[in-house]
Amino acid sequence: MRIISKEDFAEFVNTLIADNSWNVVGVKSKGDKFTFGPLESASELRLDYDVTLLPPKKYFFPQRETLFTYDLAGGFSAKGFTAEAKPTVIIGVHPYDIVALLHMDEIFAETKSDPYYFEKRNSSIIIGVNIQKMSKWCFAPLMGCATIDHGYDLMLTDLGNRYAINIGSQKGEELLEKHAKNVTNALARDIQLVGQKKREIMNMAQQKFDFPPELIPELLSKSYEKSAFWENHSEKCLACGSCVLVCPTCYCFDVKDNPDLSLSRGERIRTWDGCLLEDFAKIASGENFRPTKPTRYRHRYFKKGKYLFDRFGFISCVGCGRCSSNCLPDIANPVNLFNDMYHQIRDKEMLASGTASPDVKIETEGNIDYVPRLATIVKKVPMTINETLFEIRLNDGSELGHKPGQFVEISVFGIGEAPISVSSPPTKKGTFELCVRKVGNVTSKLHTLNVGDMVGVRGPFGTGFDADFLKGKDLLFVAGGLGLAPLRSLFNYVLDKREDYGRVILLYGCKEPRELLFGDELFALLKRDDVEFKPTVNWCPENEEWTGNIGVITTLIPQVDFDPEKTWAIVCGPPVMYKFVIADLKTRKVPDDHIILSLERRMKCGVGKCGHCQINQIYVCKDGPVFNYSKIKGVPEAL
Amino acid sequence: MKPKVAFFDFAGCEGDQLQVANLEEEILNLLAQVKVVSFREVMKEHSDNYDIAFIEGSCTRLQDEDRLKQIRRNAKIVVAIGSCATIGGINCIRNYKDLDEVRRTVYGENAKLFDTYAARPIDAVIPVDAYVHGCPIDKDEFLQVVKSLLLGKKPDIPTYPVCVECKKNENICAFERGQFCVGPVTRAGCNSCCVNEGTVCWGCRGLVDNPNENAHKEVLIKYGLTVDDAIGKFRLYFGWQEGKR
Repeated sequence: MRIISKEDFAEFVNTLIADNSWNVVGVKSKGDKFTFGPLESASELRLDYDVTLLPPKKYFFPQRETLFTYDLAGGFSAKGFTAEAKPTVIIGVHPYDIVALLHMDEIFAETKSDPYYFEKRNSSIIIGVNIQKMSKWCFAPLMGCATIDHGYDLMLTDLGNRYAINIGSQKGEELLEKHAKNVTNALARDIQLVGQKKREIMNMAQQKFDFPPELIPELLSKSYEKSAFWENHSEKCLACGSCVLVCPTCYCFDVKDNPDLSLSRGERIRTWDGCLLEDFAKIASGENFRPTKPTRYRHRYFKKGKYLFDRFGFISCVGCGRCSSNCLPDIANPVNLFNDMYHQIRDKEMLASGTASPDVKIETEGNIDYVPRLATIVKKVPMTINETLFEIRLNDGSELGHKPGQFVEISVFGIGEAPISVSSPPTKKGTFELCVRKVGNVTSKLHTLNVGDMVGVRGPFGTGFDADFLKGKDLLFVAGGLGLAPLRSLFNYVLDKREDYGRVILLYGCKEPRELLFGDELFALLKRDDVEFKPTVNWCPENEEWTGNIGVITTLIPQVDFDPEKTWAIVCGPPVMYKFVIADLKTRKVPDDHIILSLERRMKCGVGKCGHCQINQIYVCKDGPVFNYSKIKGVPEAL
Repeated sequence: MKPKVAFFDFAGCEGDQLQVANLEEEILNLLAQVKVVSFREVMKEHSDNYDIAFIEGSCTRLQDEDRLKQIRRNAKIVVAIGSCATIGGINCIRNYKDLDEVRRTVYGENAKLFDTYAARPIDAVIPVDAYVHGCPIDKDEFLQVVKSLLLGKKPDIPTYPVCVECKKNENICAFERGQFCVGPVTRAGCNSCCVNEGTVCWGCRGLVDNPNENAHKEVLIKYGLTVDDAIGKFRLYFGWQEGKR
C-alpha cells in the first residue's frame, strides 16, 4: 500500500491529462448527480460521489458502436474492427462497478471473445476508489461487492488529507511510478485505517435482505411458476427499460444497418437493448416469444439471479441500486422483490442449504467476427409466392463447412442481417442453399436480389444435428411448413449416405398445396423404395389439386408404423406445432430422448451474446437451434 | 429513375416541411436520390405525378378527405410527417371542447362559414405507409425514413419509450428535477432531445403501442401533480390516441 497527498494525487491526474497518450475520464458532477466523463482537470473529480448515472461499462461497451463499415460501390468491401487510438484511464470506479466489469469480462469472453469489448478493456487502466457515500438504494455490501481486492490497477481510499493506494497490477504500479510524485509506502496506521474504512462501508447499506442473498438462485427456482406474484409485481411496469439500461452487468444489444444517403455506403452498428422492452424477443414474422409484461419482468430477475448463475457461477447483480433509483413506479428494487419472494415461501427449511455454486468452466475459442464473408447468389429458384431457394457461393471459394441443422446470418447490406437455416446437406460441395420466406426487411430485400448479386454470410452457427450419432437408427422426419428447410439439410445428407441409416420416413405438412416446398424433389421420393414419404395439407381450396392426405401434420403420425425404441424423430415446424407432434409421438411410446427438435428464435449475434434468442437459461443460437427434447422439456419458454 | 416525391400540408404550422427545407448540406445528397415535383414551401412548380407523398398536418374538416384520397390514389407510398399528421397532434386538444364554441373562438361571427370536425391524424382517413413522428420532425429521422423507403425497408421506428434514450444519454430524470414528463409512455426516436436540453418530454411523438397509462398517471400524481394536471399532460398530444374523436 502507498500513500499520496491529495495535492500530489491531483498533480498525478493532471499529468495524465496533459500526457496525450490517454483518454482520462473520471467521476464528475452533473446537477446533483454524478457521471463518468472526460476530465479537463483533476479539480473536476468528485471521488466522494454516491453512484453514477451510468456505470463505466460504457467505455468498453458503448451505447452505440460501429461494427464495420461497408461500401457496395466499386468492388464491394466491408471494413471491420480497428483498434482504438488511445487507451482509457478511468478514475473513481467503485468496487461494485469493478465486480460488474469482471462479470462482463466473462460474458464477453464465453465461447467466442468479443474483440470490440476486449480491445478497449485490456488497454484501459482502472483507478478505483472505496465508497465514501452510499446511495440509499445501494445494497452492494449485501452482495459482497462493496469492497474488492482485485480487478483494479490502483485502488484509492480517502484518508482525509491523503489517499491510500492499493496496487492491483503492474500496469498500475508503473503508471504511479512514472507519473506520480511523492508517493510513500504506507505506515501501519494507514493500513489499519484503510481496514477500518472498509469495515465501515460494510455497514453503510440502508437496504436490507431478510434472508442470506446466496439463496437467491434457489428462491428463484421455486418461484418461476408463481404467475400471480409476477403479475402483481409487474403491474405498474412502464416497459421503459430503465432498470436494464442503467445496469452495470446488462450486456444485451441490437444490431442494425445505418446506410448513408448514397445508399451504397454505410455502417453496421450495435446499440444497447433491454429484455424489458416489448419487442426484445420478437421475430420478423411477428411472433413474440416473450409477449407479456410479467414474463419480461420475470426474465430480468431470472437472468441476473439464476440463468447467469447457472452458466457462470455468479449472481449477476452487484447491488449498485441503479435499477431501483431509476424506476419511476418503484418496482425494480431487487431487495424488495426478493424479500417478498422469500416471505411467500412457506417451507423455508427447504431453502436452508442454498444452491451450490455450479462447477463452471468458461471456454473461449477465437474471436467473434461480426464482419460477414462476401458471397454471391448463383441460383434463385422461386418455390412458392413467398419462398425462394437461394444457392450461394462464398466469394473466397471456401466451403461453408456446416453441419446439418446449423444456420447462417445472411446480410443484405443497408438492410441488416437475418438468421436462416442451411437447407442443403454438407455433402453438397461448392455452394450451399437457403430456403427463405419473405417475411421481414432482410428476407424481403433478399427476394429482390438476382443471380450475381452479393450478400454477406456469417456462420455457420449453432449445434446442428448429430448425423454420426443417428447412424444405424430409424429416422422419422416430421416437418411443418418452412420447418422442412432445416430438416432438408439432414434428410438429404441421410439420402446421400443412405446405407449408413435405418428406415427413413418423412412426414411433411403445409397449409395448402401451393405452399408445398421442394415439391419435385419430394414427389420423386415416392418412386424410391428406401424412403417412406407422406405429405399432407391442412386444406385444399377448390382451384388447387391434391390427392394426398388432408389434415394437420399430426394426422399422418397414426398412418406410419415404426418401432419407437429404434426410431429417432426429427421435428421442425412453426412454434404451435411442437406440443401436438410431441404429444402424439409420446402416445406412440417414442422416448423423450428420441425426439430431436429445431427451434426458431430471434437469433441476432449467433454467438450467445446479444441476448435476444434466450429461452430461460438457453441461448438458441449457441446451445441450439437443434435440441434433444429430453434436455428442453423442462425449459418453460422452449415449447 | 429517381423516385418522384411531393409534399402536402393540411392543418398544421408547416414546421415539418421547414425542417426538410432546412436540411442544409444533406439536401443535395437527398436530391441525388429523389426528384421533388411538388413542395409549396420551396418551389412554384407542381405535378400530380409522384411516387412518394409526404403529408403534414391533421385532417380537420370533411372536405379535406377528398384531397387526401386523391393523394393516396396518386402515390405509391404515403408518409405522414409531424405530430399533426401522425397522431393528430395538438390540433386534437380542441376535440375535448364543443366544436361550435371552437369555431366561434377562432372565426367570431363568421364561424358558420367555416366547417369543421374533430381533428384527426392522416391514417384516420387514408392508409399511411410510414411515419415520421415529432413536433417538429427531426431532420435525421426524416432522412432515416427516406433512406429506408428508398432501400425498400420498413423504417425502424422505436416501439419503446423515451426513457430508453434518456438513460443512454445519461439525463437526470425530469421527475428527479421536480418536473413532470410523459417520456415513460411516449414513443422514442427523438434521442430524448427535449430532456437533453433540461426540459421535459411533452409527448409529441405519441403514445407507444402499449402504454401503461394508468401506471404513469399514478407516477405523475405520486410526484405531486394534481389529477387534473396529469390528465392535461395526456391531452396535449395524446387526444386522438386516448380516444377523443
